Amino acid sequence: MLKQEQKDSLIAAAHQLSASSSEFMNLQNFLDKGFPTSKSEEWKYTSLKSLNELAWNWIAPANACSIASPVNWQPLLTIKTCNGHSSIQSKLATNEVEFLIFDDFVAKCPSFLSLWNAKDPILTENALYDLNTALVSQNNVLWIKKGVKLNQMALHQFCLNGLADSTAVQSKLIIYLEEGAEFSLMEQQSSSLNEKEHLSNYVQEIWVSKSAKLAYIKEQDFQNTVSHLDHTFIYQFDGSQVDTFTFSINGGLIRNNLHFYSNGSQVISNLNGLYVPADHQLMDTHSVVDHRMPHSESNELYKGVLLGSSTGVFNGKIFVRPDAQKTNAFQSCKNVLASTKATMNTKPQLEIWADDVKCSHGTTTGQLSEEALFYMRSRGISEQAARTLLLLAFVQEVIDRVEHEEIRLVLSQKIVSKIQKSLNITF
Amino acid sequence: MLSIKNLHARIGEKEILKGINLEIKAGEVHAIMGPNGSGKSTLASVLAGRTDYEVTEGSVDFLGKDLLDLAPEERAAEGVFLAFQYPVEIPGVSTTNFLKSAVNEIRKYRGEEPMDAVQFLKMFKEKMAYVNIDQALLSRALNEGFSGGEKKRNEIFQMAVLDPKLAILDETDSGLDIDALRIVAEGVNKLKSPNNATILVTHYQRLLDYIVPDFVHVLYKGRIVKSGGKELALELEERGYDWIKTEVDQ
Repeated sequence: MLKQEQKDSLIAAAHQLSASSSEFMNLQNFLDKGFPTSKSEEWKYTSLKSLNELAWNWIAPANACSIASPVNWQPLLTIKTCNGHSSIQSKLATNEVEFLIFDDFVAKCPSFLSLWNAKDPILTENALYDLNTALVSQNNVLWIKKGVKLNQMALHQFCLNGLADSTAVQSKLIIYLEEGAEFSLMEQQSSSLNEKEHLSNYVQEIWVSKSAKLAYIKEQDFQNTVSHLDHTFIYQFDGSQVDTFTFSINGGLIRNNLHFYSNGSQVISNLNGLYVPADHQLMDTHSVVDHRMPHSESNELYKGVLLGSSTGVFNGKIFVRPDAQKTNAFQSCKNVLASTKATMNTKPQLEIWADDVKCSHGTTTGQLSEEALFYMRSRGISEQAARTLLLLAFVQEVIDRVEHEEIRLVLSQKIVSKIQKSLNITF
Repeated sequence: MLSIKNLHARIGEKEILKGINLEIKAGEVHAIMGPNGSGKSTLASVLAGRTDYEVTEGSVDFLGKDLLDLAPEERAAEGVFLAFQYPVEIPGVSTTNFLKSAVNEIRKYRGEEPMDAVQFLKMFKEKMAYVNIDQALLSRALNEGFSGGEKKRNEIFQMAVLDPKLAILDETDSGLDIDALRIVAEGVNKLKSPNNATILVTHYQRLLDYIVPDFVHVLYKGRIVKSGGKELALELEERGYDWIKTEVDQ
C-alpha cells in the first residue's frame, strides 16, 4: 500500500495536470491498491513493494530525447517519446499516416469509438493501467490508414532523460491500423545515466483491423536504476497478423505484460522475446494470448540467458475460449542459466475450453552442456569463448526471426557485448 | 615427444588408470588396444584434459611441458588433438565458424596474427581434399544431425585444419562402414609426417589394416601389459584378449 504522503502527492499531481473526473476515478483505483506486491499471484516473483515506499515525483519534464539517430537507415517516420512527451517527424502524407492527440483523432475517425469502448473491462482492475491513464500527459494515436502498406520500418525512440531523482514517468502510445494496413515499428527504449531510482510505466494499446499486418520490435536498454513496466494490449481482427519482438538487454527491473486479444478468425499472433539479464537485474515476461474466435493461431518463442545474479520470470497464459475451435496455439520458453547465482521462474498456463484445438507448450531451463564445452576447449577455444559461442548460438534463433537485417545486426552486437562483458566478470 | 610416467587416474572413487608408462617419439604411430573397460578411452581423455578424471599420481611430459598442468585449450594450442569417439553436437555453430574461432585462438596463444577470411577459405579448401568432405556439411551446425560417418570424417577434417603434433584417435573406427573407414584412414595417413605422432585407440585390428602402427600396446585393468610391433595386433585379432587376461591375472 502507498504511504499517505504518496497518496497526497499523487492527488496534487493529478490536480496540477488538470485531470478529468474519470481520470480521478482511475487514480482512486490506484490509490486503493498501490503498486502490486508478491501477495498478488501475477507479481509473485516481481514484487513492486519498494516502489510503494518511495517519495516519487509524479510529473516528468518534457526534455529532448537522448537517443542518437540510427546510422545505417533514415526512417520516413520517427516518433520520439521522452519522459512521456511525444513528438513526430514524418515524411509521409497525411492520407497515409497521422499522429494525433486522442480527441482530434476521434473527431476525424468517430468509428473508432466503438472499438475503444469495447475494450476489455478487466483493464479497470489493473492498478498500473489506471495510474497511467490518470497521469499520462499525452494520449497520442498513431493512425495507419486503410490499405497503406509501409515497406520501410518506422522508428520509435523512447527515453527517460534528465529526470530529477525518483521520478515516475507515465507514457502511452495508441496505434490504430485500419483494414489492410501494413506497418512495422522499431522501438528503442533507453534511459540516460541517472543515479537515483526511476520508474517508467508505459502502456500501448493497439488495434489491428481486418487483414492488417503489424511487426513491433522493442529493444529495451535501460540503466540499472530504472524499473520499467511495459504493458502492451493488442486487439486483432479477421485475417490480421502481428509479430512482436521484445529484446530485453538492460534494466534494473523490466516487466513486460503482453496481452493479445485474438478477436477474429484466421488471426496470426507471433510473440518472440529474448532476455539477457545480468548483475542483479530482473526481467519478467507475462504474456496472455486470448483466442476467442475459431481458426486462429499463436506462436510464442521466448529465450533467456541469465547471467550474474539475475532473475528471470516467464509466465505464459493461453486461453482458448469455447468458440475458438481449430485454434493452433504453441508456446516455447527456453532458458540457459549461465551463472550459478542466476534464477529462472517459468510458468506456462493453458486454459482450453474448446475441444478441437492443437496446443502445445514447453519450458526448459538448464545449463550449458559440459560435453559441448569440453569438446570446444579440446579444439583450442578458451572456456570463455566457448561459453560465449554457445550462448550466442542459443539466442540467434530469436534474433534471426527479425526480418530487417540492419536491426538484426545492431541487436546481435548489443547482445554479444552484453554476454561477453558479463562472462568476463563471472568467469 | 610424449612421455607418460606411472600415470594413475580415477573417476569418483574408481581408479581406472593404475600406472601407465609410455614413450612416444615424433614420427611414430602407436596403437593402444585392449578389451572393453580396460581404460583406453580414459587414457585418451586424460591426455586431452577432460575434467571428469582426477589424476592421482604420475606425470605426462609433452615437448618439455607438464601436460597435466595445462587447460584443455592450452593443450590444443600446444599441439594435442583428440578425435572423439562420440563427437558432440553443437547446435547453432557451423563447423566453419567453430574452426575459425579455434584456429585464431590457437594463433593468439602462439603469438601469431589471426587469419583473415581469405586465408581461411584457401586453407579450408586445401584441407577439405584430405577427407573428401563436402562444403555443405561445413556450413551446417557442427555435428548436428550428421551421420556416424560424417561425424568421424569431420573429426579428421578438424585434425587436418588444426595440424596437431600429437593426434589421439579415440575409437575413430567405431560405427564406420568400410568405405568411410578407408577415407578416414587415408586422411590420417596423409597427415602423418616425421614431425608428428599418432595414438590410435581401438578395440579391433580392422583400422590397423589401413593405418599401420609402429608399436602396439595392450591395455588391461589400467596398465599396459604387453607391447610389441604391428604383429601383436594380428595375434590379438586371431586369439582375442583372453590369453592376455589369463597371463596377467595369473
